[in-house]
Amino acid sequence: MRFGVLSERSVRFLLGAGAVTGFFLVWEFLLTFVFTFNPFFITKPSLMWDATGDLILSGELWKDLYISGTPFVFGFAAAVVVGIPLGVVMGWRRRVAFALDPFLTALYASPLVALAPLLIVMFGVGIKGKTILIFLLAVFPFIFNAFAGVRSVDTLLINVVRSLGGKERDLYFKVILPSTLPYIVAGARIAIGRGIVGIIVGEFYAASEGIGHALIWFGDMYQLGHMFVCILVLMIVAVIFTVGLRKAELAIAPWRTQETR
Amino acid sequence: MNRYLSQYRENEEHILGWGFIVLFLLAWELTPHLVALPKGLALFFTTPYHIALKLFDMVTSGEVAFHFYVSGSEFVIGLGLSILVALPLGLVMGRFYTLNAMFDPFVTAFNATPRLVFLPLVVLWFGFGIWSTVVIVFIGALFPLLINTYEGVKNVDRVLVNVVRSFGANEWQLMKIVVLPNSMPYIIAGLRLAIGRAILGVVVGEFFGSDQGVGFLMAEAAGNYIVDVVFAGLILFMGISLVMTMAVKKLEDRLSRWRPEQVKTF
Repeated sequence: MRFGVLSERSVRFLLGAGAVTGFFLVWEFLLTFVFTFNPFFITKPSLMWDATGDLILSGELWKDLYISGTPFVFGFAAAVVVGIPLGVVMGWRRRVAFALDPFLTALYASPLVALAPLLIVMFGVGIKGKTILIFLLAVFPFIFNAFAGVRSVDTLLINVVRSLGGKERDLYFKVILPSTLPYIVAGARIAIGRGIVGIIVGEFYAASEGIGHALIWFGDMYQLGHMFVCILVLMIVAVIFTVGLRKAELAIAPWRTQETR
Repeated sequence: MNRYLSQYRENEEHILGWGFIVLFLLAWELTPHLVALPKGLALFFTTPYHIALKLFDMVTSGEVAFHFYVSGSEFVIGLGLSILVALPLGLVMGRFYTLNAMFDPFVTAFNATPRLVFLPLVVLWFGFGIWSTVVIVFIGALFPLLINTYEGVKNVDRVLVNVVRSFGANEWQLMKIVVLPNSMPYIIAGLRLAIGRAILGVVVGEFFGSDQGVGFLMAEAAGNYIVDVVFAGLILFMGISLVMTMAVKKLEDRLSRWRPEQVKTF
């Protein structure tokens, strides 16, 4: 759909940006002029703005993000290092897949978040406990997506490479990797969300710093402005990662866009 | 001997699959007998035998029935509400371009963010108890359903729409005859995702915002380091989630049998 000189993309962007701006304006307006404002129940965008300034200037926000980010990076890296090779082996060796698939599916289906308190008691409230929790949550999307990716490899392509005298190496780098990569990126997108859950659960349980802890702390203190800012920051982080990975997915494998939509 | 071998070949998939699970459980069971665990770990260690015993105990004593009923109600109410909201909204968003462009940033943001982030706020607004969990389940299940419904509606064959229109169908009839049946596979795929998220919602909602339900039972046990109960709850949730997923898969197969190719959704 086109409106005059504007392209479809810019129309879409303007409509979206307008809706978001309008949402905040209406929110502010309603609580200032229409309803009586109860600061123990809800906050206003203007107060959130003040809270943002406060959190940034005091450096609290960066510190909390850094504290939460460290175990996230470690756990996520471990999930990549363990998950992808395991998935690839499962895709490549039929018997390994037979043996591991039901077991891992059952684990994937169970709410492992519930193990958070045990892990934290066993490994401590610091980086170690959270890292293990994040790893446990984030590893499954990598395993299953790498598995599906390798299985989706076109056998015709493998035969062609073999017939033309390709080595095992060529097989991996020219056929298997390119067709598996988009699946892995899609897995990473799911894993990010689960990783964030891991951080927050870990910090809800027992922590004295970190963004999840800040969220709960401001809630308990009824500083709703600060609390909403923490929520917004987490939403923005999640959106940046998700949208970024979606873009990466399209860039790596433009041919898949039709089929995955 | 050869006969056994061919029998093994036929059932290799199941033998290996179950074999690994049994092996894993055996190794777990034998661990405390074979290695001396460090003191810190030994306190929180349990074996499958104890977990099974505890689970059996909880079920037969009726201890779990009430909590199960609470969790089940939260699941059903939350998922039901999300279906009631997501289907009409998805249909409308798929049909009207402007509305879809306006809602898009909100849907993307809320879908990308784990529901858990909103939990402290939800507890503040809806109080400690069942309703907080229902809201968390609702938010979790809403977006996969909404997005899939919307995608399904958007991908409806234009030719079919034009044909039905040419024969004088109004918007309502168009929905009923073309749009809804065509988006069904997408909606069911969305339902499968939504069920997974709803179960997760029940667990985390009850963990932090409730005083009843199976999730609460686990949280309380974890707080008191009764490890058996935590794992028993985990197995309970695992079973439910596997059964539900399989049921939806069956439904999916049945509803899309007439379809030449498998519809893929994210």
